Order: sequence, then structure tokens, then C-alpha cells
Amino acid sequence: MVKRKLGALEKVEADLPNLQHKIRRDPKSYIEDFRAQHYQYESHREIFMAAPSAATDTGIISLKELIDFISHVADCYPEILKDFPQQLIDMLMQHHLVLEPELREKIVGSIVLLKKKDLLDSATLLHTLFPILITTPSKTLRALLFQKILSELRQANSKTTNHKLNRTMQTVLFNLVTSDRTSSKGLWAIKITRELWKRQIWTDAKAVEVMKEASLSQNEKVIGGGVRFFLGGDKEREEMEDESSDEETLDIGRLRHTLQINKKSKKKARVAEKAMATHKKKERKKNQPHPLNFSALHLLHDPQGFADSLFTKHLQNSKAKLNLEQKLLVLQLVSRLVGLHKLHIMSLYSYFQKFLTPRQPSVTSFLASLAQASHDLVPPDVLEPLIQKIANEFVSEASAGEVATAGLNAIREICVRQPLAMDETLLQDLVMYKKSKDKGVMMASKGLLSLYRDVGAQMLKKRDRGKEASMGLRSGEKEQRRFGQQEVGGIEGLELLEKWKEEERRKRREEKGLPSDAEDDEDEEDDWAAWNVEDDDDSDDSGEWINVQSDVEIELSDSEDEGKDRPSKKAKQDEAEAKEKEKDDAAQEAKLSTLATTRILTPADLAKLAELRAQASVDSAVNGSRSRRPALPAARHTDDPLTAAEIEGLASLSAAKATREERIAHAREGKPDREEHKSKEGRRRERKQEQGKSTTNKEKARRKNFLMTLGKAKSKNKRSLVETRAVLKAHHDRQKRGGKRGNAGN
Amino acid sequence: MGSSAKRKKEKQKDFQKPKLKVGKAKAKPENFTDTSFKAKAIVLNQQSLHVAAPTSSSQFSHHLSLLSSKSDSQRRDSLAHLTTSIASRPVNSPLPQPVSVMLSSLLPLILDANNNVRTALLKLLKTLPPSDVQDHVAQLLPYVRAGMTHLAADIRVSAVEILSWMVDAAGEAVVSCAGGWIKTFNCFLSVLGWHTEESARWSSNRASFGKSGSRGRPMVKVLGALAEFLEAGIGAPGAPVDDEQHEGPSSLAWPFPLCQTSQHMISESAAPYAYLNLFGQPRDEEGEMYETREDRYRVFSTRFLSAVERGLKSAREEGGELGRASSSVSKVLKAALSYGAGP
Repeated sequence: MVKRKLGALEKVEADLPNLQHKIRRDPKSYIEDFRAQHYQYESHREIFMAAPSAATDTGIISLKELIDFISHVADCYPEILKDFPQQLIDMLMQHHLVLEPELREKIVGSIVLLKKKDLLDSATLLHTLFPILITTPSKTLRALLFQKILSELRQANSKTTNHKLNRTMQTVLFNLVTSDRTSSKGLWAIKITRELWKRQIWTDAKAVEVMKEASLSQNEKVIGGGVRFFLGGDKEREEMEDESSDEETLDIGRLRHTLQINKKSKKKARVAEKAMATHKKKERKKNQPHPLNFSALHLLHDPQGFADSLFTKHLQNSKAKLNLEQKLLVLQLVSRLVGLHKLHIMSLYSYFQKFLTPRQPSVTSFLASLAQASHDLVPPDVLEPLIQKIANEFVSEASAGEVATAGLNAIREICVRQPLAMDETLLQDLVMYKKSKDKGVMMASKGLLSLYRDVGAQMLKKRDRGKEASMGLRSGEKEQRRFGQQEVGGIEGLELLEKWKEEERRKRREEKGLPSDAEDDEDEEDDWAAWNVEDDDDSDDSGEWINVQSDVEIELSDSEDEGKDRPSKKAKQDEAEAKEKEKDDAAQEAKLSTLATTRILTPADLAKLAELRAQASVDSAVNGSRSRRPALPAARHTDDPLTAAEIEGLASLSAAKATREERIAHAREGKPDREEHKSKEGRRRERKQEQGKSTTNKEKARRKNFLMTLGKAKSKNKRSLVETRAVLKAHHDRQKRGGKRGNAGN
Repeated sequence: MGSSAKRKKEKQKDFQKPKLKVGKAKAKPENFTDTSFKAKAIVLNQQSLHVAAPTSSSQFSHHLSLLSSKSDSQRRDSLAHLTTSIASRPVNSPLPQPVSVMLSSLLPLILDANNNVRTALLKLLKTLPPSDVQDHVAQLLPYVRAGMTHLAADIRVSAVEILSWMVDAAGEAVVSCAGGWIKTFNCFLSVLGWHTEESARWSSNRASFGKSGSRGRPMVKVLGALAEFLEAGIGAPGAPVDDEQHEGPSSLAWPFPLCQTSQHMISESAAPYAYLNLFGQPRDEEGEMYETREDRYRVFSTRFLSAVERGLKSAREEGGELGRASSSVSKVLKAALSYGAGP
């Protein structure tokens, strides 16, 4: 018998992918085939449900493949498959413990696929996946589910924030954390919240609430997770944003250049167009106002209660099972909360008492926490014994250099925040260490000295006060502030703006030929016309100042309670204008301050203000004699934590114990890294090659193969005199003409 | 550069053909690694050596375990061995292994890719005593249904064959077990391609995706099986005489004052309370048990009657072998319809 010829498709026994492809192209015609496969799936499901654990591989087609096939074409036959998603969900929910891993993964993937095809809503999906995530013992399944849940949440929030979904999910997580405080399942809530916080999908108080509950739980891991979030979550978020923003900086000029040079094709044009579009989009994004993101510490509802319960639950409680590292983390969080929100936990300071000895492991962290926990509303007599103890334990002639440095730095950090805690005799003792041989100790002591020159010069001995401080004392301008006294706040740089406006007006009037001092109302209207920053040509060209603008907004937002934590900072920054102020009389000062109260500052005004402020700071840095002064730690942002490294200070410098490598590394710090020593020419050549540019003629000549030049060199020797003359003449002429082609200009 | 004589020679060496000589071993390639080794003795840690030959029962269970073997011929041979050992056992003696044990390894073979294995399986099934099959119909049916809707036509055909054997052996159980009526009927319709009006109108065989199958006349076989299935499900109840005969001795089993007591006793079937579905998944309409002819007839007339009639009409129009086969189905159908919903 002659063998029948088989078509390519007929050879395949059971080709589900092929059928899938055909169904996708023409669902109506293949409905019968699909129905058959659906019955097949139903029967296999029946077999499977009869014995879920003993899922044997049945023949050519397994249940896994059928599920895959059906979920891929599910959107073509919604009527036949209306139960299908629920069936999959049931299968997974009931049998995920005994399912074969591959089948399990396939079911999870299919459910997600059905969600993508809109046959399932995301709330159902999350309600299916999340309970399994926290109960399953399988690590691979957990990883898969976690990834799917995250991507689902991200996807749901990609276009607009899906408040409803977020709220339900956050409630689920919150309940998970609060329902059983001893179990470690809360870790999943932490993981999800932290990841979404990092990606700025969840930025609201509810997410912070979840983490707050987590850090108050009884499981060490959960506590650690929650506390770490508060200490590092925001930094992580910022880093993530930076990363994503400088992902690919497209050089648009180069792109255009290559487009001109390279061969033109439709594909290349398309690619270039796409690149241009993304570039434009990015530019637009860059110009958009920065979204306000509050840090987790600011979003807490009841910081006092939170800090109180953290402290009593995990630190004071003798039954708490935390080890030293975890305790330190909790302590850092508590002290940051206290410092940031100016809370009062009186027992916290006496708690520190027993840890303040040089023999205590990681004592610098304790010192840093103590400094963080002190602010200007802490009663000085609470801090005084602590400072006394630090001075007694750490700072003495007999103690090692690092120890004394750490002690002095800690005392300075505390006093920056609460200058009244210092005793006069103690201060004078400590200042004497500025003559120390040890560099670290000397620097730390000088830091303390310069601090008190500013905030309490009368406590210093006369010869230590310095010129400025003594002058200030004599004129009565530098007075030590009393406990609880607040600096009167204002808008930084407002007087600069005022001055600038005045000048502008004068100029305009001079142009018009009017007397420069007369008043008029015109410019008011001009200002209102220039309401928008974009319309204002002054700020149009200064694109780089837009970043600064976000600072202004923050400044404005808390201008009501201004000066809460900035008095010393304010004192510093205002010093640039101190000279001018001295000249000005009190009346003018009153006039300055009325600018913000009598009129509304337009965005254009604010942009100008930012510009002027930046200009002023640059000026003072370049030509001011005051720029010699090191930036004081109080000048940094209040949100930043104080680290143990800052307490240790220059101790690493002071000790001669540093190895050679350490010293080299230290010397290298701050210098631009330079991999190789190469000639300028060599580096230039490399750069050109990187940019895909060609070599010069000279370079080509140098690189030319020796054998190729050999013939000419040989023949040169054999030239007759006449020939030589002709060649030389030709060369001379060519030089005169300016190259082979001649110089077009000549 | 390749100018020097040495270089040229080196280059040429690469392209020289190795000379082969008759009767001499081929030269080893350059990167040849010698993997041969010498050993003084080869030690087998475990050997199962017995003086006595394995008993027939142990051989039976061994072959039963071989049914999940990877090789086709091994499965087929094991099936053949099982068949002969069942068939050749003394009359009225019990099976070497109970059917419930055997089924767990037999069932997946319904969907086996190899034709010969499935043929051997059918042979084996046919040797099983019908009374034993009756209790396991519910287990068998899902596999048979999966086979009937399989992409490969050969598997479809053999599944239909197995179904017709089942109807033969335990017709009542097949149609009345859970999901046995509606689901199986759906499978029939999908094999025949009679589901929708549109698909029934196609002139060619609609169930044609995938391999069309090497064994001929699949449709004819399917129609034959459908006729048997219909007959078992909604065929006019046979002679009532039969019932009376059956009732006769049972009424005698009970002494005089008790009459119809057997109706109140627990039924003698294997799972008398299966219809309560105490332990299984909740059933939907399709998976429900339809135990009486009236139920089945009602379901049939509401769901399938129009599709079957349409399909039969188009089959008759096609004529030939198919038309003849369809006539047997229509005969059964006519009888059932004339009997109606029941007395």
C-alpha cells in the first residue's frame, strides 16, 4: 500500500499552540474545536479534582497545557468560559498545598493572564493571591506570588491612582499586621508596603500606619522591618527616583548627527523619531512641578503616642527579646521622632544614662541617638547630668584619642540642639582641649568652641571669645536665648527681593524720565501680568533654578510655625546680611518685613527670590571672609539622621593606627578618580572613537601598513635630481595653495 | 601577513585531507580523549536472585506496574500479559487483583498516544467481568470523555469504542451516574460536530482539526455508539415481563405478611447513596445524576433533541455509509419519541 502523504500539520498528534493561533485569528469558525478542548479540560479537571495530589501525567496532553491554552483564548469565548476564572481560583485556593509545582505556577500565571484580559478584576486577583502568599510553605511559589502581586498593584496604579484598590489592599495588610502580633506573617505586609513606597505608588498616611503597627508588633523580624522602613524608606525612595531619572540621558545632538551621516532607511528614521519623542516627553516631565512627597516620619498621625509606645514596649520593657542591634534600631527611630517632632519622653534620657561608658558596644550609636533626641524644648537640667557623665567618662587626658573625640563630638551635637544644657566651668574645661596634640580631639574641641562663640559667648573665657563674638556681646546683639525662646521668622531672602524690586522700579522710571523716588501703581499691575513663571523672560533662561523652587514651596508651607527648629541656622544665614542690617535703622526693617504681608508674591516673584538667594549664597562663598567658617551641622536638613560616623568624627585621622591603605584611601577621597595616566592626545583619540567619529588623516597615515609604504619609500631613493626637484616644487606650490584642493577663501 | 614560506606551509596543513587506508583503523581526531578504563571486578550491590520462579500473582502485579513504562511496546506487552492471565484464570475464580486497583493504572492508558496500546487496553477491558465494571463507571467516564474530545482523532475513535463497550457491559450505570448523561452527550455532539446549526451544515466532517486518523470510518463508529447510548438512556423500557421475572423470586424471599419489603431495604448496588453526594464537590446541572428514564428524557428533549435531529438530517442527506449508520440512530430516536416522556 502506498503511504499517504501527510501534511505538516497532520503529523503532529496534538497541536494546541497551532489551534490557539488559528482561534485567535478566527474565533467564530473554530468554536467547535474550542468546545471540544473545553470538554477535554472539563474532564481532565474532573479527573484532577477526584485526586488532586495524585496528578499523573495523562497522555500527550496534560491539564497544565489545557489551562494554558484556554486562558490564552479566553477572551474569544467569554460566554462559554464564564466559570473558568472561578474554577482556576478554586483549584488554586483549595489545593495549592498539594499541587504539582509546575501546574501551580501555570495556574497562577493563567489567573494573572485572565486579569490582563479583563475577565477578572484586580481586587479578586489580589484576594486570591495574597492569602496564598502568606500561607504557602513553598519558597518559589511565594516569590512568584509576591512578584505578581507587586506588578498587579503597580499596573493598577500606572495610569491614575486606583484609590479603591489601594485602600482595600492597605486594609488587608493592616489587618494582617494587627491580627496576630506574634506571628512573622506581618513581614509580607512590610515587604509589599516598602516596595510600593519605594516606587512612590503608595505615599499616603495609611501605608505609614501599616508600618507603624508593624514596628509595634511582638515579632522581632516584623519590628525590625517596620523600624528599618522609617529609618531608611525615604532615602530608598529618593535613590530610586534618582536612578530612574538619570536612566538614559540621550544625547540628542549626537543622534541628529548620526542621522545625517549614516545611511538613511525607514527603520532608522522610525527609531530616531521614537527616541525624539521619548526625549521630548522626558523634557516635559522635567519641567513639571515636583510632586510633594512627605516622608514617612511626617505622615505619622500621633508621633508622641508612637514614640512612647515604642520606647516602653521595646526598650524599657525588660521582657523584650530584642538584641542589641535591634534595640539600637528602635532607639534610633525613637530619638529621631523625638528630635523631629520635639516630643517629650522624659524617661528616655535617664534610660541613656547606663549606656554612656566607653566600654559599651557601639557606644557611638548611643551617643548619636542621644544627640538626636535632644531639642531646644528639652529641659536643660535633664540633659545636664548626661553631658556631665559623657565628659567624665569619655573626655580626659588619660583616655584614648578616639574616645575623647567621640565624647566631645557628642557633647557638641547635643549642645547644638540645646545650648542651655552646658555648664560654664565644664565648657571652659572642654574648650581647653583645643590645644590637644591629637588632631581629632583638637578639631572636636574647636567645633565646640565655635559653636559657643555663636550661641553663648559669655560662657567662654574672654580670650576664647574671638573678635566677632566680643563685638556682638558689647553691642548687645548677641544674647543667649532663654529656654523656649523662639526666633521671629521670616522669608529667607525677602529683603533681597525687595531691594531688587526697588532697583527695577528706579530703572524703569529713569527710562521714562520721571523722578526716581515717586510712587506709582503701574508696576503693581505689571507684576500681576507677569503672574506666570513661564511668561517672565527673567526666569525663562534660568531653567536650572526650577529645582530650587520646590524649596520655596516648603519654606512657605511651614512659614506659620517658622523658626521652630531653625533659630541657630537662621542666625547663620542672616549673618551675610548682618552688615547691611546694622546700617539700616529699625524703621526700614519694619518696612522690609511688610512686603510679604502687604502683597501676594506671584510665582514669578518666588522664582526671582530663589534666584537671588542662590546668587547671594554664591557671592558669600566666593568673596566673603566668613566662608572660612566650616558649615555647622545645624545647617543641614532636619530630616537627615545623625549617624555614629559623625560622632566618631575625625577619630580615624587622629590615631596613628591607620594602615597605609587606609591613609591612601583617605587621601584619595574627594579627588576625581583618574584611571590611567595617558597623553592628552591619547585620551582625545579614545573619546572620539567612543563617539563613533573617524580618525584624522595624520592618524591614518601613521597607522598605514608598513609594506604599503615600502614601495614609495624605495622609489624615492631612485629619483633623479630632476624628479626630486619637480616633487619639491609641487609640494611647495601645494603648501602655498593650502592643501591639495586649495583653499576656497584664497 | 602570510608571506613567509613557513606560514604558508602551516596554513596548508589545516586543509590537507587525512589519508584513509583500507583495513586500517581511522585516525583519531586531535581532541580525542581516551575514556576506557580497566577494572578488576564489577560489583553489583543488590541482586534479586531467587531459585523459585516468580508466582503468577507477583508477575501480574509486576506487569501492572509496568503499565506506566515509557516504552510503547512494553506497555502493550504488559497489557497483553494481563489480558491472557485474566482470561485464562479458572472459571468463577476471583481476579488476581481487584478491579479498583487495576483501574488506577489502566485509566491513563485510555489517552495513550499509541494505537496498539489502546487496542490492547480495549481487549483487556473486555475480559473484565461486567459486574465489576458497573461499580467503576463513574471513574472510567471522565477519562473516556477526555478521550472523546481529544485532539488526536485516533484517540477519539478508541474512546468511543470503549464507551460502546461500557454501554454494553453496564448501560444503566453509564447513563445514570453523575455527569454521565449530559456531559457524555455533549462530548458526542462535539465529536460529531452537531452543536450549532451552523456547524452541522458543513458538508465535510467538522471534527477535523489535528490528525485525521489512520483508521477509517470514524463517524460511522461514533454514530453506532450514539445509537447504543441513546438506547441505553432513553430507549423504551424493555419487556415488563423481565421485571416480573426478576421480582418473582425476591418477593418469595420474604415470608407472607411482608410484601414489597424489598423496596424499603437498602439497595444492593455498590453506592446506594451516591445521589446524595455527601463527600464530593457540589454538582451543577451538567454533573447531576439522572437516574430515571423520565429525567433523562426531559433533559434530552429540552437540550439535545433539536441538535440531534438537525445532525441526523444532514447525515442522511450525505448518504452512503454515514447515511446508513444514521438510520440506526434515527430508529432508536423514533422509538424513544414514540414512547414519550413515559407511561
